[in-house]
Amino acid sequence: MNVVDTRRAKPAAKLLSGNAACAAGAIAAGCKFFAGYPITPSSEIAERLATLLPRNNGVFVQMEDEIAAMAAVIGASMGGVKALTATSGPGFSLKQENIGYAAGAEIPCVIVNVMRGGPSTGMPTRPSQADIMQSRYGSHGDYPIIVLAPASAREIYDETIRAFDLAEICRSPVVLLYDQVIAQSSETVALGAAPAAHAERKRASGPRETYKPFAVGADGIPAMARPGDGYRTHTTGLTHGEDGFPTQNPEAVDRNLSRLFTKLDHHRELIDSWETVRCDDADVVIVAIGISARAAKRAVELCRAEGKRVGLFRPITLWPFPEAALREAVKTARAVLVPELNLGQLRHEVERLLGRDRVEGINLINGEPIGPAQIAARASQLASEA
Amino acid sequence: MPKSRIELRFGGTGGQGLLLSAKMLADALAAEGKHVAQSQTYEPTSRGGFCNADLVIAGGEVDYPLPIAFDHLVLLDKMAIKPSWPRLKPGALVIADTRLCPELPAGDVRLHHLPLSRTALELGSERVTNIVALGVLVEMTGICKRKSIEQVVRADAPRGFLDLNMDALAAGYALATPVPAAAS
Repeated sequence: MNVVDTRRAKPAAKLLSGNAACAAGAIAAGCKFFAGYPITPSSEIAERLATLLPRNNGVFVQMEDEIAAMAAVIGASMGGVKALTATSGPGFSLKQENIGYAAGAEIPCVIVNVMRGGPSTGMPTRPSQADIMQSRYGSHGDYPIIVLAPASAREIYDETIRAFDLAEICRSPVVLLYDQVIAQSSETVALGAAPAAHAERKRASGPRETYKPFAVGADGIPAMARPGDGYRTHTTGLTHGEDGFPTQNPEAVDRNLSRLFTKLDHHRELIDSWETVRCDDADVVIVAIGISARAAKRAVELCRAEGKRVGLFRPITLWPFPEAALREAVKTARAVLVPELNLGQLRHEVERLLGRDRVEGINLINGEPIGPAQIAARASQLASEA
Repeated sequence: MPKSRIELRFGGTGGQGLLLSAKMLADALAAEGKHVAQSQTYEPTSRGGFCNADLVIAGGEVDYPLPIAFDHLVLLDKMAIKPSWPRLKPGALVIADTRLCPELPAGDVRLHHLPLSRTALELGSERVTNIVALGVLVEMTGICKRKSIEQVVRADAPRGFLDLNMDALAAGYALATPVPAAAS
């Protein structure tokens, strides 16, 4: 049993990589199962959990490939435990079919995708942010998913815990999406005590005879049957009705599929998260995630030192996109700048929300991060024009 | 850029223990209560290829975790010169190995061309070149206390190689101290 010394008000800061923080966060969240297939630059998560999980009454399995790993995670979650897998681009592609299954069958689970250069095997040891759209739309069919995009080791720890909580509460797969730099850089992090209580999925309760595995109340979340509790349940990737059995009845299909979206709508207050830096009076607002947001944060300071009114909006929850918060952040801005390590995936969403007139991007796909100076130069120029 | 921010690089080739040196220094600095961000780039091979391990040290939280221009540069292979040299600050400290980086570009730097790998070989293994370099860096810059780095090296060195690593660190300190010129 781990005893946390609560007398120590300020825990000592330790050097922790983003991936190590993710593994620590998973343990703190009550994760009891990991299945994966090692891939750079995510392997340190598996490496850590191979040691940490058995010590915490958990199970670690290295599977034969990423497809099987995702399937094992879904199985473990259906078996009643919190489950995680971690991968990078090529593995994330392989997992997509089963991620769609988890979304459709409403199986809580967490998937880490550490973004490296692509397409295909691309650049294993170089950063990228080109899986923004894949994380949202990677599997076939219409389905919702939650994607969190932390930007530091500290935040990866917190967001990993939140990912498990959201997966449990919303009965949804949750993707943690961050880039190679954030994953493999180490930062001094002071981790507090692990949260004492975790969110747990809604369990089947009440009379067993009348239980329907996909019947819902006002919150839109069906209660999940735990094996051994005696509730009859059925899970399938086919569209299904309240009883869990396949149906193509248009009314039943529409009701159940639409609910997948509205159940997240009901929980937007829990799901949405973002950071704003000096947006109140900003002529130019930078919108960025991950390492690009870290560079943008410095760029904001560089611009402010010149007297240029520049701010930063950083979505921490990437999907569903915190659109109301973005609109609020750009209220005074005449230009919006989106630096990212792809050819415009985040900008595409920002343009969808704000229109194309005042939005422009800085894009880099050569495996190098975008530095603060480059962002500051363009932001400063835009602020002068504004 | 806040004045308190210091940026440094261990540059060389994959397999030289550059990352280990950087992590050890980062741990020593963290133990002293400093804020550190440690990053690296490497090639998808276990040996060879340009490799570097960088540190950004700040009094407060590090906003941008990657280095922009180096205050200090340690060079253990000529492969690291080209990508690192243009990013030196004026007057930066450069510690380079004489055998592995025989020729260096000119520039506004405080250059210390030292027999790091030869010293390691004389101690018994070229593999502790990174620790010799670490000793030189700590001694020349006073970036952390000797005690702090020694504690980390003691904790991290593989059993059976502790003495060799401690000797390498001490040899680094000695290399950093200029030998008084003999009276003529």
